[in-house]
Amino acid sequence: MYISDIKLKTAFIYLLASLFCVLFGAVYEYYSHDVYSYYMIYAFVFPLAAGVLPFVLMFLSGHKRIPSRLTLNLYHSGIATLSVGSIMTGVMEIYGTTNDILQIYWIVGFGFIGISLLNYVIGLFTRKK
Amino acid sequence: MKFNFFKKKFAWAIFYTILLTSFTLYAVLDTFVITRVYASVEADERGSDESIASTKSSSLNESENTYSDQNISITITEYREYDTNIYVADVYVSSAEYLQTAFAQNSYGKNITEKTSSIATSNNAILAINGDYYGSQTKGYVLKNGELYREAASEDQEDLVILADGSFEIIKEGDVTAEALLKNGALQVLSFGPALVTNGSVCVSESEEVGKAKASNPRTAIAVVDDLHYLFVVSDGRTDESEGLSLYQLAKFIQSLGANTAYNLDGGGSSTMYFNGEVINNPTSNGKTIKERSVSDIVYIGY
Repeated sequence: MYISDIKLKTAFIYLLASLFCVLFGAVYEYYSHDVYSYYMIYAFVFPLAAGVLPFVLMFLSGHKRIPSRLTLNLYHSGIATLSVGSIMTGVMEIYGTTNDILQIYWIVGFGFIGISLLNYVIGLFTRKK
Repeated sequence: MKFNFFKKKFAWAIFYTILLTSFTLYAVLDTFVITRVYASVEADERGSDESIASTKSSSLNESENTYSDQNISITITEYREYDTNIYVADVYVSSAEYLQTAFAQNSYGKNITEKTSSIATSNNAILAINGDYYGSQTKGYVLKNGELYREAASEDQEDLVILADGSFEIIKEGDVTAEALLKNGALQVLSFGPALVTNGSVCVSESEEVGKAKASNPRTAIAVVDDLHYLFVVSDGRTDESEGLSLYQLAKFIQSLGANTAYNLDGGGSSTMYFNGEVINNPTSNGKTIKERSVSDIVYIGY
């Protein structure tokens, strides 16, 4: 299978990441003696909602502008950080423990996404000029 | 030049993957492996073998299921309820000083664990059960044998307070500080929960569970019947022979034994009962292998 459009290609990679999260969560939950964690079960939502959805929408809407490499790098890193952070929080919850350093995943993840979106919006305005 | 690095596709991807993996590895090690000792319990605080030997009188009477001397009387009974083996230690003591707690490796800290039987042996315990596993949480009072080790409160956390006269009290950490508990004469605070029985009535609902658990499990609980009369309860679970108990089943069972106040301690793979040098239940984490889990602390009867 060959996907020529960069936006579809990105969406496809995010779909694979979502499926990996679903599979990982299902296997982990299976061996967790009925101790559950929403962070583990729904970790796939980050790559699906913030990865697959926007890139498919960009493709379908015929949006021609591809975000800059800096914007994409920060955005992808943000989603990866949130997905891993969600799985890690799930692991801790299922084990019945906590660790304050897990907050770093959420701060860095949302921070990266915020900066990348800001960079994207600034790029739109500056290029128009 | 430096800024350009963030614009490179593969260089950034490789760099960030390594960074994220390294941080995740550190988070796992920090949570489960890296040991930090914050305080050690001195040997003389726990009593010497000589003093224990002299305290145990000539009236010592031991058998497979019983122990009694001038200060302590323990009877172990095995029950079969809810398709589960339940072990109950019926304990009478002459003073609350014999109801004690101990840390793994006699140290308070992070990721310091040891098997219940091993902690019990090193503290000359006659009877022991696993405690509240304080080490798995970053908040929640840690007050053991009249010493306050952690006063960070977890607002809704329900604790069991054992007072100097041996009576039990259930408190919420959001309602009272650890300092105040210590001032009011608390000898032990167990921070796990929830309370199972208060004033002789079951106080958990049929659907209530610990944290995110939703199934029957091995359980550990402690209860007071009346003055200086306690029950230590441990159930098996997760095996073909024993299904395990829900919190409600555990509460109903302990209430049927006459408990006035009962409190749930760390369960699952941690649930262990040690008596006269042996583990008497079937501790298991996965239901397949019978093996003790290492824990942070124990509750025990001893000198």
